[in-house]
Amino acid sequence: MIASTRDRMQLGLLLGPATVFLAVFFLIPLAIMVVTSFLAPGLYGGVEWEFYPHNFGRIFGFADPAFEEFDPVYLEIFLRSVRIAVLTVIATLLVCYPAAFCISMMPGKWKSFCLFLIALPFFTSLIVRLFVWVLILRQSGPVNGVLLALGLIDQPLDLIYTEGAIILGMVYIFIPFMFMPIYASVEKLDWSLIRASQDLGAGPIRTFVRVILPLTAPGIIGGSLIVFIPALGNFIVPAILGGAKVMMLGNLIEQQFLSARNWPFGSALAMMVMSVMLVTMMGFVFVSGRRRSSMASLSGGQRGAQ
Amino acid sequence: MSLNWLFRGGLVAYTALFFAFIYLPLALIAVYSFNSNPVNMMTWEGFTTDWYWQVLGFKTTVSEAAMYIESTGQLLAALRNSIVIAFSTTLISTVLGTALALALYRYDFLGARTYRVLMFMPMLVPDIVLGIALLIFFVNAGVHLGIGTIIIGQCTFLISYVFIVVSSRLAGMDRSLEHASADLGANEWVTFRKVVLPQLMPGVMGGALLAFIISMDDLVITYFIAGTDVTTLPIFIFAMLRRGIKPEINAIAVMMLTFSFLVASLGLYLRSRQK
Repeated sequence: MIASTRDRMQLGLLLGPATVFLAVFFLIPLAIMVVTSFLAPGLYGGVEWEFYPHNFGRIFGFADPAFEEFDPVYLEIFLRSVRIAVLTVIATLLVCYPAAFCISMMPGKWKSFCLFLIALPFFTSLIVRLFVWVLILRQSGPVNGVLLALGLIDQPLDLIYTEGAIILGMVYIFIPFMFMPIYASVEKLDWSLIRASQDLGAGPIRTFVRVILPLTAPGIIGGSLIVFIPALGNFIVPAILGGAKVMMLGNLIEQQFLSARNWPFGSALAMMVMSVMLVTMMGFVFVSGRRRSSMASLSGGQRGAQ
Repeated sequence: MSLNWLFRGGLVAYTALFFAFIYLPLALIAVYSFNSNPVNMMTWEGFTTDWYWQVLGFKTTVSEAAMYIESTGQLLAALRNSIVIAFSTTLISTVLGTALALALYRYDFLGARTYRVLMFMPMLVPDIVLGIALLIFFVNAGVHLGIGTIIIGQCTFLISYVFIVVSSRLAGMDRSLEHASADLGANEWVTFRKVVLPQLMPGVMGGALLAFIISMDDLVITYFIAGTDVTTLPIFIFAMLRRGIKPEINAIAVMMLTFSFLVASLGLYLRSRQK
């Protein structure tokens, strides 16, 4: 395609600035972070230039014996972060999946209005949307107020600063992320296949598990992926709704950088977030690749007929 | 038949609950923001707009103890920083992102596919990872942290957003018009300006709007590379929240929600009219 020097110059002009920008301010910083995670922390912040695997050792059980004994607290925080992220994905999915069906069955005008209402919060301040839940869940908030007034409890419950509060906050902010991919696959659903399944004698549950679920799987997988990644390394939600009680990787990283000033350890923690993300992504590529080939063999005839 | 009605009723009820979950909390702050009770927002003490006036810097009857912004000046400075940063990042990322999208659309060169995949990376890398990577980088490079570093940091991922929006617009464009223009004797530049650009503009505007909104709301990356003397609006509110909750924050929240609802409605309305 590239015929002349003029073309080549034009391409360079279009491609060059952004490439240089991203190489300098994206790739190089990430590379420096990777290197930092293998360096020893200096005594007063900063780093010592020597190979030091104990940053990861502090997480996995081979901490530097010169400084400390292994403390499983970091591993606990890591596992808690993964658990919270997984539970967030499941909860968001359970909330959004039925809603996608409800909205896709609506008449046209209502449908687009509902989609607008779901997209709208995405454009509003994240911090404001999280702040609301502080108001709702705290001891003098409406939830405790109602429960006290009904006489169901004598003492206000500790709703905020719990894992549940973090998951609730994450579900609230990630709804648009999960809803849109699921909705896209529900909209494409071929209802004649569902009728066919019922005509052939399958009950509602069987139809759901064998027909509806596989057909909407791309949306479920895609939505789960784009919720899982930001949930895992999140630091705002636990900072606001988890307080000092429920710490996640994000808070721990922030602490290492802004107060403990142990940048190598902070970088190692960030590498943990990155590696879980990469493994998840590769799993996603693998699953969607396999699905595509199996779906193609299953519905090849039907596609060909269309 | 009755089962069908039950099913329908269930669907409607579920949808109503779903939207209640999304919007009732926001309605709650709006109600709280007009409550004159300075201590317990749960108990309604009377209607007042004092919190709004107080935030906007007017003298009201609210006692000093109930406030935590020392001056409206701080809030306005944070807002001004956010706007300056958002305009700069929008300009830079729109130009660079659009150029990239055009390059990959017009030329099929070695590595173009890899490029396309790599452009998703800045969006997929978790915020906190990018934030600390940039912090390490800037500190090692001896760059003073401030508005400049925030603008650069936000552009690293905003370019990707603009690139994706513009690319999808380009993918849906009709190339035969370009060929027609060339056949009719227009040179490349005229074709670009009169044929490609007008078709591309909605995509570019959409990308720019998205970049602006994300920039105004970015907290995590900005938080790490803001340094000590620059505050943006989200960071300002984050800092307030960490110090405890007082009613004036409701008024700020409601003003921000109203503003972004208006901008987003306008944006989505314009987009729906284009189709």
